[in-house]
Amino acid sequence: MNSVLHRKNLFYLRDLLQELIVRDMKLRYRRSVLGLAWSLLNPLAELLVLTFVFTYVLPLNIPKFPVFLYTGLLAWNWFRASLNSGANAIVTNRSLIRLPGFPIPILPVVTTTSYFVHFVLSLPILVLFLILYKVPLSAAVIALPFVMAVQFLFIISLVYFLAAIQVTFRDTQYLLNIVLMLGFYLSPVFYDVNRIPAELLPIYNLNPMVHIIGAYRAIFLDGTFPVIGPLLIISGISAILLWLGYTFFMRASFQFAQEL
Amino acid sequence: MNQAIVVQDLGKRFRRYRKDRPFTLQEAVVSGFGRLQPVDWFWALREISFTVPRGEVLGVIGANGAGKSTLLGLIGGIGRPEEGRLEVHGRVGGLLELGAGFHPDLTGRENVIVNGIICGLTRREVDRRFAEIVTFAELEEAINDPLRTYSTGMRMRLGFSIAAHTEPEILLVDEVLAVGDIAFQQKCLDRIRQYQKRGCTIVIVSHNTTQIREFCDRVIWLQAGRIQACNGPALVVNQYEQAMQQKRTTKP
Repeated sequence: MNSVLHRKNLFYLRDLLQELIVRDMKLRYRRSVLGLAWSLLNPLAELLVLTFVFTYVLPLNIPKFPVFLYTGLLAWNWFRASLNSGANAIVTNRSLIRLPGFPIPILPVVTTTSYFVHFVLSLPILVLFLILYKVPLSAAVIALPFVMAVQFLFIISLVYFLAAIQVTFRDTQYLLNIVLMLGFYLSPVFYDVNRIPAELLPIYNLNPMVHIIGAYRAIFLDGTFPVIGPLLIISGISAILLWLGYTFFMRASFQFAQEL
Repeated sequence: MNQAIVVQDLGKRFRRYRKDRPFTLQEAVVSGFGRLQPVDWFWALREISFTVPRGEVLGVIGANGAGKSTLLGLIGGIGRPEEGRLEVHGRVGGLLELGAGFHPDLTGRENVIVNGIICGLTRREVDRRFAEIVTFAELEEAINDPLRTYSTGMRMRLGFSIAAHTEPEILLVDEVLAVGDIAFQQKCLDRIRQYQKRGCTIVIVSHNTTQIREFCDRVIWLQAGRIQACNGPALVVNQYEQAMQQKRTTKP
């Protein structure tokens, strides 16, 4: 009896997750002519401008710069967009919070996964770039799911905190905007880590996105397996953060209905 | 377990803030942080005890602000009581927030699927009941149009129809028996009666004492967060109506 209920529950959560993501994606581009293509055009536009600036205006002399940049942009945009809308996951879903029996902790998973889908949808374009620049795909690609899992874990562990805090402290979203803007420059999205002075590296390397972006580049550009150590440390810390964040979120969730 | 809902010494407290409570950090700095603290607490519900056996229909009546909806919400797992014990045995479904997650830009069909799942059905269950839901809402013609083209009544009908097809074991009803025109209202009442016959436990909050009298096995009268009376419908509704009458004559 118990096991049947449990299984039904898991099936149910899978359906719920899937439908909420589909709804999210449908709504984001419904009534726009280009639809989902916008999610691909955005990073391409960024790519164009940054490539122009760092090839002609301030040359960085990074070989195959567009591929290098696009890899960084994809990883960074997944991170930025998930955090940005994840922070509002509770605040914008008032009617769901007030529904008896609705599993509230699924909402941060919905936003993170929905931008993960965008990330995955952009991968074919990345492959196109790789072909264009004659970078062969190596066997290191099998490490890709692992790196994506690490990034997913890292993002979701932060989103639980942000979503819960944003309910009572609406400044969260503005602070987050600033942190993300700074983070863009403090992560190696458009430059290479070897430009960082050696004495600053210990501090610079504390940013998990440094290692996550590095891992994607190792896989796609160098065709080598990513350095596993930092990724494992990030997973470990994220797992602890996720546990803390989830606990915090669940405690706060009893107040959500009356704060919204 | 023959009790569907067990409530013992339940208390739910809300904060009450100063009327000049700062909303932003800037205001807080200017006016001093002391004003951030809630002035006092008030008990929306206190010392509430009752049990609802499986299959019973319980009515909850009381003036505005008596705590009826708060009580219904707590039974539905929204918020947590500060005091006492609350046990709910069975799958809870509610006619509380009709059409949660509805979006004007999605079609009726898309909204039924999303909302059905949000209300607790699996995708397959929604698919199986889809035709029935649409027929009940009388929206066969418009189901492929975006929701923004629907009238308020059409939206309410669709929301009610989905919620009414989730087959909960415990049904919470909050003043939504006023959906649509008279014919549709009758249909809603019939639907709730069907649930009743099937042995579903129902808790109804309503100001419509005629409906309460007609539907309920037992009625709780809440006043300022406490149980004023709990008894058969005829008795409690009479007491309540007398009290209301009195209030009207003493306070013109």
